[in-house]
Amino acid sequence: MQEEPDYITKLLRLKRFEQPEPEYFENFLKEFQARQRGQMLREPAWRIGWDRLCAFFGENLPVRLGYGLAYGAVLVAATIASINIRESRPVEMAAVPPRPAAQVASLNLNTQVQLPDLPTFVRRTAPTASFSAPRYVMDTRPVSYEPPSSF
Amino acid sequence: MAEQAPVNPDIELVSRTQAGDARAFDELVVKYSPRLYGLVYNMTSNHEDANDLLQEVFAKAYRSISGFRGKSSFYTWIHSIAVNMTINFLKKRGRRFQMSLDDVDLNIQNDKEFIELTATASPVRQADLGELQLKLNEAMGKLSPEHRAVVTMFDIQGMPHAEISKILGVSEGTIRSRLFYAHRQLQAHLDEFREFRKK
Repeated sequence: MQEEPDYITKLLRLKRFEQPEPEYFENFLKEFQARQRGQMLREPAWRIGWDRLCAFFGENLPVRLGYGLAYGAVLVAATIASINIRESRPVEMAAVPPRPAAQVASLNLNTQVQLPDLPTFVRRTAPTASFSAPRYVMDTRPVSYEPPSSF
Repeated sequence: MAEQAPVNPDIELVSRTQAGDARAFDELVVKYSPRLYGLVYNMTSNHEDANDLLQEVFAKAYRSISGFRGKSSFYTWIHSIAVNMTINFLKKRGRRFQMSLDDVDLNIQNDKEFIELTATASPVRQADLGELQLKLNEAMGKLSPEHRAVVTMFDIQGMPHAEISKILGVSEGTIRSRLFYAHRQLQAHLDEFREFRKK
C-alpha cells in the first residue's frame, strides 16, 4: 500500500528536469523590465490602487476595514452636503419659446419677420426701475437700529 | 554571548523596494523566477502560458509590495500570489489547451531516482523519455487546479506540508487529504507504468 504513492512521487519528481532554455532566466528580467514600464503607462490608476488595497487589507483586515468604512462615510456625507448647497441656489429664467419650424424654413431676404419677445432674466432682489424725474429725499432722521435716546 | 539570528536578506530587499529602489525588486525577480517558473509551468504544462503568468505575478507583486507588512515571509507571499493567479488562469482556460513542454534536461540520466526507476525492467525503462514526459503531463492535466497545485509543490518541488498550508491558507490536514486524492487519481492515469512492476 505504501509503495504506490512513493512510486508516483518518484515518477513526478522527474518533472523537475523539464527546464526552459538556459538563457531563458537571463532574458526574463529584461522582458519583465520592458513589460513593466509599458504596463505602468497603460495600467489604469484604479487597478494599481486596487492591488495596493488588496495587499494592504490582506494582513490587517479588521483595523484597515474600519478605516476604510470611516473614510467612505465621510465621503458620502461630503457628497450629500455638496448636493444640498447646489440645490439651495435658485436660478429663475424664463423659458425660451420654441420657434415654429415651418416659419424658419420659409424665410428669405424679403420676408418680414416678427421677432418674438426675448426672454428676460428676473432677479428676485432687483429694484423696479422708475423712469420719472429724479427725486431727492433728505431724511429727517437717519435710519438706525438703535433705540431712540429721547424719553 | 547571545547568538545573533540570521537576517533574512529578503526583508532588506523588500524594504528597499518599498522605499522606491526598483533594482532591489530586480534582485528578488532573479532570485525567485526559477522556482516560481517551475511552480507555474508544472501547473500549466505550457511554457508560453507560464512565462506570461510569471510576468503578471511579478508585476502584481511589484504593484502591491507597498502593502506587504512582513507578517509572512516574502517567499510565502509571492508563492501564494503565483498559485492563486495560476489557479484562476486554469479555471478560465478550462479543458481547451495545448501542451507546450520544455525539454528534459539530460542531467536526468545522473539522477538517483531516475536510475532507480529505470534499473529494473520497468515500463519507465521501456518508454521513450519524451513519451514518459507526455504521459506525466497528461496525468497532471486531469487533476483539478487545486490538486495540481498541491502535487506540484509537494511532489515536484519538495515543499513540506506546513509551507504548502501557509501558501494556500488551508490546514495541513486538507493538504494531506488533497495529496491522497490526487495520488489516487494519478495512479489510475499512470497505471501502465506500474504494470511491469506487478508482473
